[in-house]
Amino acid sequence: MIEPRGDAVRAASRSLLTLRDLAVAPLGAAKPVLRDIALDVGAGECLALVGASGTGKTTLLRTLGGQIAAVAGTIELDGEWLTALRGKALRRLRSRVGFVAQKHDLVEPLRVHQNVMAGALGRWSTLRALRYLCRPTSAELAEARSALEAVGLAHKLRAPTAALSGGEQQRVAIARALVQAPRLLLADEPVASLDPVTARAILELLTSLAKRRGMALICSLHQPELATRYFDRVLEVREGTLTGSAAVHAAQPLRLTA
Amino acid sequence: MDSLWPLLSAFFPPVLTPSYLRALLPPVVETLGLAAGSMFLAFLISLPLGIAAGLRLPGTRPLLAVLSAVRAIPDLTVAILCVILFGVGPGAGLLALAIYYGAVVAKMFADILRTAPRPPLEALAATGARRLQLALFGLLPLKRADLLTYGAYEFESALRASIVVGAVGGGGLGSELVGSLAALDFPRVTTQLIVLVTVVAVLDQLAVWLRRHPRWLLALAPLGLAALAAYAPRLLAFDHALHVFGEMFPPRLTERDWAALLPRLWETAWMALAGTGGAVLAAALFGALTARNLAPPWLAWPLRRLMEVLRSIPEVVWGLILIAVAGVGPTAGAAALGLHSAGCLARLFAESLENAPRAPQLAIAGTGASAVVVTAWATVPLALGPVAVHSLFRLEWNLRMATVMGLIGAGGIGQALYDAQQLFFYRQMMAYILITWVLVALVDNASEALRRRYKLNQIPA
Repeated sequence: MIEPRGDAVRAASRSLLTLRDLAVAPLGAAKPVLRDIALDVGAGECLALVGASGTGKTTLLRTLGGQIAAVAGTIELDGEWLTALRGKALRRLRSRVGFVAQKHDLVEPLRVHQNVMAGALGRWSTLRALRYLCRPTSAELAEARSALEAVGLAHKLRAPTAALSGGEQQRVAIARALVQAPRLLLADEPVASLDPVTARAILELLTSLAKRRGMALICSLHQPELATRYFDRVLEVREGTLTGSAAVHAAQPLRLTA
Repeated sequence: MDSLWPLLSAFFPPVLTPSYLRALLPPVVETLGLAAGSMFLAFLISLPLGIAAGLRLPGTRPLLAVLSAVRAIPDLTVAILCVILFGVGPGAGLLALAIYYGAVVAKMFADILRTAPRPPLEALAATGARRLQLALFGLLPLKRADLLTYGAYEFESALRASIVVGAVGGGGLGSELVGSLAALDFPRVTTQLIVLVTVVAVLDQLAVWLRRHPRWLLALAPLGLAALAAYAPRLLAFDHALHVFGEMFPPRLTERDWAALLPRLWETAWMALAGTGGAVLAAALFGALTARNLAPPWLAWPLRRLMEVLRSIPEVVWGLILIAVAGVGPTAGAAALGLHSAGCLARLFAESLENAPRAPQLAIAGTGASAVVVTAWATVPLALGPVAVHSLFRLEWNLRMATVMGLIGAGGIGQALYDAQQLFFYRQMMAYILITWVLVALVDNASEALRRRYKLNQIPA
């Protein structure tokens, strides 16, 4: 477990994501929910965020995903400043950040392959995106199939998304992120609504895919024992700031009772 | 199309002289009074009936069946019967509205009160409370919010109906409109439409306010009482009414009528299908162009106002106008149903688009998709379910409305009913009333079964 600040020197040379002095106040919040956030994450690194609910884990992830604007500080992804971008440039950068949410994240009325290929929308033209909804080409379907193979769901290619179980839907969301081929993959409580066996399988899948494809993975979790088991690094969000290994020690008694 | 412009220009400019506007005041007050008086009666009848059903007293099952049956007679058909039996004028209109909405509200109250949670009621019963006490201290407080909300909604719908009953001689603004159309006095028709749209808009705001402050609904009771005193049928000649009613039995159709029945029914169904189909297409376009999350305000705002005008003019009023300018027939009927439905559906479609779940839309936007693509890939697919439900309800509603559109000359089974009434062929008329009744009841039941099967809830709009 490395302190985020101490890690900075080592990571500066090959860091994919760099946060400095970041402060975030979501709409309606009187004072910043997050402040003084500094963090470096390298390519292929898997980072878990733990902490009680309401401490700001989701806010941090949504800020990184470009859904909430920071009020102070910088976010640098792949050498570009996310905090300074607007419009088309922001959209282009967002296409390099994948997001897997807890649930309710897929467009349920669409078919599985459509949800998977939504990951490609950032690089497709508007016309191509509209055409795909009515007439997908076989090459495009093959891409969807290979992404679904990576998550073990190739047989559900044309199934209606609403007919899938919670764990299967989560895997479709991961397949969508794979098609997007992001540099940074964010996952907000991806296993919170899943049973323990499925939860482990999903985390195993996420971390191994991040390693194999060289994506940085930042994942919020509320089960510290899963965090220490699957992730390179565990940070705790507490009272709006990031702290290091304390989270893991605090988690020890929890593991006994779990 | 060449003839469209002279036709339209005949409606302008509207007559806006102070003396004419003053002259319109009594019919407007009469229309409001019809609604207030009839709803007062309806609530008075409905509350005890609803409580009886809510307490599951013996005999509530047949009672509910009777209420459902009365509700299946279209309001305009009830009005035409009342006009025949009790003479032309606001008294007949008031009676017709009271009968129809009495059944509608009682059924609604019964449905609401029957879904009251049982445990608190059983606890109350265990203390030895009598039935009346159970109702006052258990049933009504438990369901107060629902009763007031849906009560306000029905009141709103009765106001629209009170304009419509005038079309068959029930008094108020509707009768005034029929008079002006018959005299081909189109500028005055335009004035009346402006007044109508304004009144409906004011009442809409009032209804929104009432839903937020439902206590004030009680203030309508003295108003209703006053209206009742003013517009109650004056000269109730029961002997005459009974005699005329007797002439309607036994209902009978001639062989020629039987032969024409199927084509007439098809005409009615066609009117509903064509009107609803056109309305769905128009509403898909205007719904998207008025949804706050899709369209820019400078476009959405004026289109929203246009849709409001379309829907605040009832189908029957659209029908009267279209028939006056374009001639009788089912095309005018379908267009009338379509215009009103387009206004209603556009708002419901816009709401469906606005209420589409946010998370999946954000997820699609998060992949870097443009706004157009997010709309096509997430917002529209997510809204399609509610849009289909609204369209289906509208079709059901229009099938019912199509049966009465004939009463004003739009063809179909309603036209046959009207023709029989005009010729005093009362036995034929009653036969058509019964046929219409059975058909509407069938559509009602089919739609309710469908709703239960797919767990759809009717959304008042």
